[in-house]
Amino acid sequence: MGTRVGARQLLRWTIRNASSVVSPPQFWRCHLQPLCTGCRLLCSSTSLHHEISPLSGKPNTELSLRTFLDMGFTDTQAEQLCETVSKLRGGSAAKHALSTLTALFVLGLNPSSVLKLLDKCPELYSVKEPQLQQRIDNLRKLGLGEGSIQRVVAYYPQILTVPVKTIKNAVGFLREKCLFTVQQVTDIIRDSPAVLAENLGQLEYKFQYVYFRMGVKQGEMVKSRLFRFTLDEVRHRHSFLERRGLYQTPDKKGQTVIINPKLDSILSVDQDIFLTEAANASAEEYDIFKRLMARELQEQEQQGGRIEADSDDEEEAEEDDEEEETGGRSAYRKRRKK
Amino acid sequence: MMALLLDTRLLLRKVKDLRCFTPKRNRVKEKWAATRAKYPPTILALQHFDATYGIQLGQLWPSVRVALLSERKYGALFNNFSHGAVLADLEAQGCRDFTRDTDTEAQPGPEQESKVVAEGESSYVSMKKSDADGQQLSPLQLSPHIKCLVFPRGDITRFKPAKPDMLGLLGYYLMDAASVLPCLALDVQEGHNVLDLCAAPGGKSLALLQSQCIGFLCVNDSSVSRTTRLKKVLHSYVPKQLLTDEKLRITSFDGTKWGEIERNTFDRVLVDVPCTTDRHSLMEDDNNIFSRSRTGERRKLPQLQVELLLAGIQAACPGGEIVYSTCTLSQNQNMSVVEQAVHLARENHNIHLQVVDVRPFTHMFRKTFHFAPDLPLGEMVIPHLAANFGPIYMCKLRRLT
Repeated sequence: MGTRVGARQLLRWTIRNASSVVSPPQFWRCHLQPLCTGCRLLCSSTSLHHEISPLSGKPNTELSLRTFLDMGFTDTQAEQLCETVSKLRGGSAAKHALSTLTALFVLGLNPSSVLKLLDKCPELYSVKEPQLQQRIDNLRKLGLGEGSIQRVVAYYPQILTVPVKTIKNAVGFLREKCLFTVQQVTDIIRDSPAVLAENLGQLEYKFQYVYFRMGVKQGEMVKSRLFRFTLDEVRHRHSFLERRGLYQTPDKKGQTVIINPKLDSILSVDQDIFLTEAANASAEEYDIFKRLMARELQEQEQQGGRIEADSDDEEEAEEDDEEEETGGRSAYRKRRKK
Repeated sequence: MMALLLDTRLLLRKVKDLRCFTPKRNRVKEKWAATRAKYPPTILALQHFDATYGIQLGQLWPSVRVALLSERKYGALFNNFSHGAVLADLEAQGCRDFTRDTDTEAQPGPEQESKVVAEGESSYVSMKKSDADGQQLSPLQLSPHIKCLVFPRGDITRFKPAKPDMLGLLGYYLMDAASVLPCLALDVQEGHNVLDLCAAPGGKSLALLQSQCIGFLCVNDSSVSRTTRLKKVLHSYVPKQLLTDEKLRITSFDGTKWGEIERNTFDRVLVDVPCTTDRHSLMEDDNNIFSRSRTGERRKLPQLQVELLLAGIQAACPGGEIVYSTCTLSQNQNMSVVEQAVHLARENHNIHLQVVDVRPFTHMFRKTFHFAPDLPLGEMVIPHLAANFGPIYMCKLRRLT
């Protein structure tokens, strides 16, 4: 049965690579490397530089397919993998593919998870095996235990493409600048692994916005999964509430006149629930508000710290500007309040 | 030696602050100070409004509040005197003349019918309103030829600045579209003498001139510099022939004195009074009436407003009409002022006034604006994110005697 299937697949494979039929030696050579690593897998030896000797008769593609099948992939999955691997650029890419797969299996992920993961993040194919292992170990050191680490990698495979140094910087930032505890940092990584790949400037801005402007402390930030959301999402929802009069920045003593809604009732809910429960507003209003806010923020960023010389203000310096019409040719010059 | 030192110490003690030692260029001018006051006027205004309007508007306040604190929406008052494809250009961008974009729904109730007939350039709404005392016919007409283009509901596109045509006149004037409503309500007719008592910066005067049927227009503002600005505006939009002394008079008198200057003269009077300009007060710290230094001025506003309205009433002729308008939501500056002025007109000057109901008028424009529901006297446009115009309050009176 297996050989029949194998032969059929071989036929399909050969037809797909019709050009290779023309020059058999090249065909053998470029496919010998996966054979090499395939051998490595089967022999489970670490460093191999053995002679590449062309095999007689048996096409090594069947071995690659066989390799995948042996790993536990179904026929279709194995085929899919073959295709993906053959499309990878660079001679080493194919070599890495097998080592990547190995490492992921060692981690304890099942074949279909592995396939999904690699679809999500094909860059993983090009990560060298020792690096991959190092990164996985680093995640363990950060407190992600068995079960957690598999879930994180399955949910956010990109985390394995992030260098250890970058992760160290991000963690350092969270611990030293933001003053999260070790446990809180672990929780953050487990819940929002993308934070480790985020631009630190953006991360800092987001943290400061929530800490100072919204008056929310670290514990609540972790509980509400703050780092899953983009800065814009946070700003839009908070500003909407603030301008409606439903959220106040606490004063120096940390007090507010009204009771601010909790962060998780603002962020970690669907927009509909946010609108009915927290904001008490229509979807139309919020949609328009988001657009206005996006424009406002964009213009604020463009202006930076530039001081505007508004010639009209000079004229009216001693006069009361009592009229509502600011009118005339261009009326949008006035500065926006934050 | 000792004496010299002593003298210096005495001298230094006498110098209280170092301002005289600081070169003029390094002195901090308050307006440009690097650090802001602890409670800038915009914050004071917001606190004030939260307290008053929270109660006055109830559930509506949060939506109004967020609209006031966000970018306002403008309308383009079309300049009938300009040449070029201005109207077509604007319409191509997606905006429409709100004066034409009206609801033609019939009013509910068996005794009431509404009829909308578009005749040439003017819109005419005729309504029969039933009353406790019997049927009352109140035909409502709008000032003709006034066109104001706005982007549709929810569309936040901005207008580009107007460009001059080959004669140097600008194609449109950007203003709050709701500000055009008092001008429409004034219903100027052919040959009328019209007074705009507090005209600066001139948007409403310009709108009135668009009707092209005014016999004589008097434009006044108490401030000389603002009147100068107003003149510039008019000259940028209106051809010189229509700004001659036979057609137009621009003055800088104290509006409250009009009862003494020109009594029983005008067919139509627009009294667009100084007020707390709610939107401006929330967004701009400069020239803000909520500055602590202007508290007295702000407290006296309702009194000033009553005086101005009373003067406007006296300036109108019997049978003439007066429109009172503000850009604030405050009841103290709106309904209370009208009530007080109507009362004083009767008591002190034996002038009897009738309130002209503008509800059918506002009903007509409810596609474009949000109006405050069930206002006992007058009508008010309230800001809303989907239609971020206003606030504008207006009330129309007719002199019976």
